[in-house]
Order: sequence, then structure tokens, then C-alpha cells
Amino acid sequence: MKDFAYVRPKNLVEALSFLHEYGHDTKIIAGGTDVVVDLRAGVIKPEYLLDVSRLAELKGIQLRSDGLWVGAGVTLSEIFSSEVLECHAPALKKCAATFASKQIRNVATIGGNVAHCSPCADTIPPLVIHDADVVLASINGIRQLPLEHVVSGPYTCALPDQEIIMGFILKPAAVTHADFQKIGRRKALATARISMSYMARKDFRGKISFFRFSLGACTPTPRQWPMVEELLAGKVPTENLIWKAARLLSEKMIEITGRRSSTVYKEPAIQGLFVKMLYPMV
Amino acid sequence: MDQHRVTITFTLNGKSVTMDVPGAMNALTLIRERLKLKGTKEGCGIGECGACTILVEGRAVNACLMLAAQLDGRDVQTVEGLAHEEGLSLLQESFVKHHAVQCGFCTPGLLMSAKALLAENPCPDKAAIAQAISGNICRCTGYQQIFDSIRHATGAPTGEEKT
Repeated sequence: MKDFAYVRPKNLVEALSFLHEYGHDTKIIAGGTDVVVDLRAGVIKPEYLLDVSRLAELKGIQLRSDGLWVGAGVTLSEIFSSEVLECHAPALKKCAATFASKQIRNVATIGGNVAHCSPCADTIPPLVIHDADVVLASINGIRQLPLEHVVSGPYTCALPDQEIIMGFILKPAAVTHADFQKIGRRKALATARISMSYMARKDFRGKISFFRFSLGACTPTPRQWPMVEELLAGKVPTENLIWKAARLLSEKMIEITGRRSSTVYKEPAIQGLFVKMLYPMV
Repeated sequence: MDQHRVTITFTLNGKSVTMDVPGAMNALTLIRERLKLKGTKEGCGIGECGACTILVEGRAVNACLMLAAQLDGRDVQTVEGLAHEEGLSLLQESFVKHHAVQCGFCTPGLLMSAKALLAENPCPDKAAIAQAISGNICRCTGYQQIFDSIRHATGAPTGEEKT
């Protein structure tokens, strides 16, 4: 591991002033579960490591007038035990249940999971279905960007070096169904080969009055799947309908990625996982 | 100020420790090489095996993924802190009694994950134990003896009987 200086700011302003001056040579660390692995492998070689794990400004989960606030410094364990998320973003809470291992969940943060920009980051599909905005802070002020604009490529974060993710604003939703599912090689600690998340509301006639879906790990960057959502909206969910949506999803995925050697596996696996996830609606 | 070295103060197994550490040192190296507490093991070094599990503020974490500097101000427990003057803790006794130790490399990490679980949930069922130790790999025992040990340490009957 290359030598670097460790800096722990007392508050957000101090962190932003430091980034303003040294941002170019600085890597931000919170839980460290990705950063320390990258430091050890020599993938990153910063001059400074800025520890934001104790910044109070990056904490908290609250329902506010502008949406559901989840601080970037909130750990996956805190997400899992949050009653507010249970009520207003159940798929996000569900993804925390199977995220890595207990040891990782206790320190890994949602901000770090997004900033690392792994295509298979577990928190991203649930954030996408809630149309999450990322709240960014720099010495010049605060701005808000859609999540899809921040995660600009695999392991590529579109943020300038002087900026820090403060948190996320989700659109809370009252739904009757929500889930997160993934396939990995091991139950714990598996890097998702495929992950997906949805939330939906069935009305009194049994029709789907609201449906949001997102797929993880299969495309280079997070995206919405309007065609799949349009296919299901307003219809009574039947097994046939869900299979039809599953086939449309895998078709659209292949349009983006092209046919690769893994497609032989991924095509039926995506369909199967989608049907399994949505089946409780039937 | 040279931030390549950081002065940290933390509580280690009940005793206050103050020392200078390199900013780039991880908590595992500090514990094993500087403090000479060799119970905490390095398996994979990337957070997948759980052999380096310690408790920070009572929560299980991978010492290999934490920087030594991040321990500043924290309460830290390693496997060396489990036993008391009269002997092993109940949990350790249970591991011995139920043959949960073969090569022993994973044992300190598993003990710490189990300790964190029992503090949170004194009567965990099998699913809760599986969830709590799924970040710890054991290549010898096949886990059954470990499940039995943790269940027994809670006073619950062992084995697969229905409850």
C-alpha cells in the first residue's frame, strides 16, 4: 500500500475546504470496504485520504418536504434497521438484508456504494426506482443531480474532485409490493451477477396502478426500463403477463449489451428472476 | 502537521491505548504487528473471509478493511478480550465442547461475530446465526458444530430439534 496522509475533518465545511484545495490528490473514504481493497491492490494511489465517516451532516434518514432523505454516510446496517425505509422505500431496506456480510454492512455506506460506481452496486436498483437525486456539496454550494447523471460509467463517477455526495433524495412511495432480488455465486459477499428491484401498487380492481422497475449488474450504467413499466401498467398481473414482461426485459437488455458469451446464461436467468420477484403480485 | 502519521487513542479490550500510527496502516496490521495480538488472523485481506473480525463499538467489522487511524476514540475488542481471569468465556467453552475448532484459523473471527450476535439477540435461531456468520468462512468443520456452539452458548438445546 502506497503511503498517504490521513485526514479526518471535524465537519462538512472543513471537508469541503480541504477538497477545494487538495481534491485532485484526494480519495474520500467512509466505510473503506471498497477503498481499502483498491488501495491494497494499488488501483488507487492518492496523496490524501479524507475520512468522512464521522461527519454528522452525512447522516440520518428522514421524510422531509422535498422527499425521503438518506444521508450518504448512512451504513447498510442502518438502512436495514430503518423503520422509515421499511415504510417508504422497502426495496432499499430489502437490498441491505443481503448486502455483502454483517461485517461489511456495519461500516459500508450508501454514499460509498454509489460513488464507487460498480455496475453491480446493490443499492443502485432501489435508488433508481425511487427516482433518486444525488445531493452534492462543494465549497461553492449545494446542487442536486439525478443518480443516472452521477454514475456515468462502470467504476466512473462523474463528480468533480472538489465535490462530495451529501446524500440522496428519494421519491417516497406507498406501494403494495416491493422487492430486491439478486443472483450471485455465494449467498453472502457475492458480487451480484444480476440484481433487480421493483415496487408496485395494485388498485381495488386488482390492476397495477403504479409500477417501477430497475435492473442492476447487467448494463454498464443504471437505467430505467420504461417499456417494461408501460407493458405492466394498468393491467391485472397474470403469470402470462409477467412472462411477457420478462421476455421484453431480456430482449431490451441484449439490445444494450449485445449478445455476449454470458448471454446464454443471463437471458433465461433474468427472465426467471424477474418472474420469481413479481410472482407475489399474481 | 505531517499527516502521514496520526496519533490515536482507543480502548482495546477494556484498556486505553495511545499510539502513533502511519496513516496508511490498516487496523489488522496495527493489532497483529504493533500490538502483538496474534489472535486476529489475516485470511484474504479483502473482507471476504472474516478471519480478521473484531468488534468496534460492539459491532463486528473486518479489521483488514479498516484503517488503524479510524479506530481513534473507539471501543475495540479482539478475541484476546473474550476470556476473563477465571478462564474462557461461555462462548469459547461452547466452541471447545462442541468441537467447533479444527485448524482454528477462522475461530477468532467466528467468536467475534458470534459475540456481536449474542449481544444483539441473546436467543438467535438458526437463520439468525447463519445471517450473522455468513461473512466468516470455515473450511474445516462444515459449520454444524459452529451452529451448535453458538446455540449452546445461549442456553438453547443444540441439534436440529424442532422448537
